Amino acid sequence: MELVLSNFDLYLSAFRLTIGLFLVSAVGSLLLGTLLAAMRVGPIAFMSKAATVYITVVRNTPLLIIFVFVIIGLPKLGILFRSVEELGISSFFFRACLALTLYTSTFVAEAIRSGINAVPLGQAEAARAIGLTFGGTMTQVVLPQAFRATVPPLASVFIALLKNTSVAYAFGILEATARMKYFTNISGNDLPIFLIFAAGYVVLVEIISFGANRLERRWRVAR
Amino acid sequence: MRLTRTKAAVAGLGLALSLVACGDAGDDESAGVDVEVQEDAGSEFDDGTRMKELADSGEVIIGVKFDQPGIGFKGATDDMPVGFDPELGKVLAASLGIAPEDITWTETISDNREPFLQSGEVDLVLASYSITDERRAVVGQAGPYYVTGQQLLVASDSDIDSLDDVKGTEVCSVTGSTSLENIEAEGATPRGFDTYSECVDQVLSGAVDAMTTDGAILLGYAAEHPDELKVVVEPFSEERYGVGYSLDHPEMCQWIVDTLTAAQEDGTWEEAFAATLGASGVETPEPPAMDECPAA
Amino acid sequence: MTVSDTATSDNPHQPGTDDPLVVLDHVDKHFGDLHVLRDINVSIRRGEVVVVIGPSGSGKSTLCRTINRLETIDGGTISLNGVPLPEEGKELAALRAEVGMVFQSFNLFAHKTILENVTLGLTKVRKTPKKSADEAAMRQLKRVGVAEQAGKYPAQLSGGQQQRVAIARALAMEPQLMLFDEPTSALDPEMIKEVLDVMVGLAKPEQGEPMTMVVVTHEMGFARTAADRVLFMADGQIVEENTPEEFFTNPRSDRAKDFLGKILKH
Repeated sequence: MELVLSNFDLYLSAFRLTIGLFLVSAVGSLLLGTLLAAMRVGPIAFMSKAATVYITVVRNTPLLIIFVFVIIGLPKLGILFRSVEELGISSFFFRACLALTLYTSTFVAEAIRSGINAVPLGQAEAARAIGLTFGGTMTQVVLPQAFRATVPPLASVFIALLKNTSVAYAFGILEATARMKYFTNISGNDLPIFLIFAAGYVVLVEIISFGANRLERRWRVAR
Repeated sequence: MRLTRTKAAVAGLGLALSLVACGDAGDDESAGVDVEVQEDAGSEFDDGTRMKELADSGEVIIGVKFDQPGIGFKGATDDMPVGFDPELGKVLAASLGIAPEDITWTETISDNREPFLQSGEVDLVLASYSITDERRAVVGQAGPYYVTGQQLLVASDSDIDSLDDVKGTEVCSVTGSTSLENIEAEGATPRGFDTYSECVDQVLSGAVDAMTTDGAILLGYAAEHPDELKVVVEPFSEERYGVGYSLDHPEMCQWIVDTLTAAQEDGTWEEAFAATLGASGVETPEPPAMDECPAA
Repeated sequence: MTVSDTATSDNPHQPGTDDPLVVLDHVDKHFGDLHVLRDINVSIRRGEVVVVIGPSGSGKSTLCRTINRLETIDGGTISLNGVPLPEEGKELAALRAEVGMVFQSFNLFAHKTILENVTLGLTKVRKTPKKSADEAAMRQLKRVGVAEQAGKYPAQLSGGQQQRVAIARALAMEPQLMLFDEPTSALDPEMIKEVLDVMVGLAKPEQGEPMTMVVVTHEMGFARTAADRVLFMADGQIVEENTPEEFFTNPRSDRAKDFLGKILKH
């Protein structure tokens, strides 16, 4: 315990990295997941099929395997994403976010698809009837309502994402779980260390839950 | 039969392991340590000691690493772990009158060594277990029986050849390990992985600039990939491997120190080293002097 | 040839004779085994108000929805201004902007205010600047009598008000044609009149051109007052086609007599 408290800057910087992984992957998953959901419900059969296959394959693959693929497999093929380093982003951070995004976006897509299904068909028909294209219908009418219906399931997806960032500990990212391993490795008494790191995750999850509740209340659609 | 299978498996593991033998040595010329099992060992120890209990029961559980070539390694198809640590484990067991084939080997990873000792899940830990004050506060550590130091494994064409060169580079090791923290202190970005083999892959693919851990482990990997990898830099830390035991049985310390000192003096220690860590080409070092056991 | 066989030859609005706006030519549609539209041939003139009536399941709603291709058809062609309806895509979207539609269940955008409901098509489809879109929307809301509700959300309005907003939303696009798919069927009785009044105002304006309208309805009073022509459908076919006067006083087919007998008795 004292070990962590006397090195509290290490604790904080590790959680900063956890939050960084979470935020970047959350935004990435939201974008990719929305695109996948739109492809899946969209009128183009080929795109719909492609999105369905992607979601089926990736969603049913353990996250660890996706990490192994992106961080150990791709480099063996010479794919290292070193170019992001010119933007000042470490390629490890980028690849960890990529793995998390590839995985989480499938859950986001399914949550949004269920949200889309919860929007009455008449809404899309009315949108098409005034001359909106498929894209306009989705962005102006269907998705804004779908997102509202999607807040509770998306909150669960993002809470899972936050905790899933810990998988990166074994792939070169010194986030909270890796830092915890460092402390437990040099200390003999692990339990207090587990607890103080668990507390960090609990606080972050509570923040997500709180935000989701606020959004849900503010966005409630009257029908 | 068992011996044949073990040899076949070992042959597949490469040079670093090829000379390591299984326990029932003597009828195999590439054997490790030919331990002499103490007969009637129970009578050697005082009543009430843990050593006597173990000797009388004829069973001992030893925690070792399964994933460190040269130190403690067990392939998926192997019956027994091989490496310097298991060899010394056999020496300790023999002094209790327990034959190598009667030892129960348990994998201990860095995180569970203390809990396993505290709960009695293992009797002894020989698992590249560096002696530290923090650890000695919760478990016993007798030794050091071996002193090594942290070095760097880099690609053959790497420019890194001094510790100053690692500043600003990415260096991998096992997540949470002391080696990783040491290299971070040298100004490198630490990249932790679950296993050494994943870390080696990162060096081979160029995803990181170097791997760091105890020199002995690195030499094992360099020997597996002589064209692609090399070990550089003088050891820049001192890791003193000790034998872990439970503080419930402080009497074990002196027994461990005495038994290993005897092994150092009669050449068994050198024999074990040459057959395991020595296979990667390093010269057998002088055995270290061991710490005094704490007063009971 | 554009009129079905049962049509009368003395129809005062004989379609196809001059500049038809909408032409349905041998239109067929199935829902699985159900043959919902059988060889439909209709031509609608500019400014004409066509009321489609018939028992439920007769295919009248489907007919209405095929005209802006919310329902696809299996055979025949539908053309607007002489051009066949395009496949789903930008072209069709552009064409739909020319065809206003009012639904049975209003279908106002639940997450947008009344004003935003009306301006959405203007700003996103017509690319009208926000300020003039707001002005045009307010004009239409005033026209249907709900201007003071502009800042509210659909759920805060009564059914009658919502349906009038839906009409304003369609009118704001200045369509060439308005489709009404049972616009009063989901309304409480006391609200039906306020919606029908707006529709009559479109069909028989005090000033300006009448709107071209296709109205699927059960409101026989509206058909009598506002329709130029009545189409009577049953089993996916247009069984009878006539002026409202002729149709209501002197129906020719047994199906129409039977239907009128049932609904006019009450």
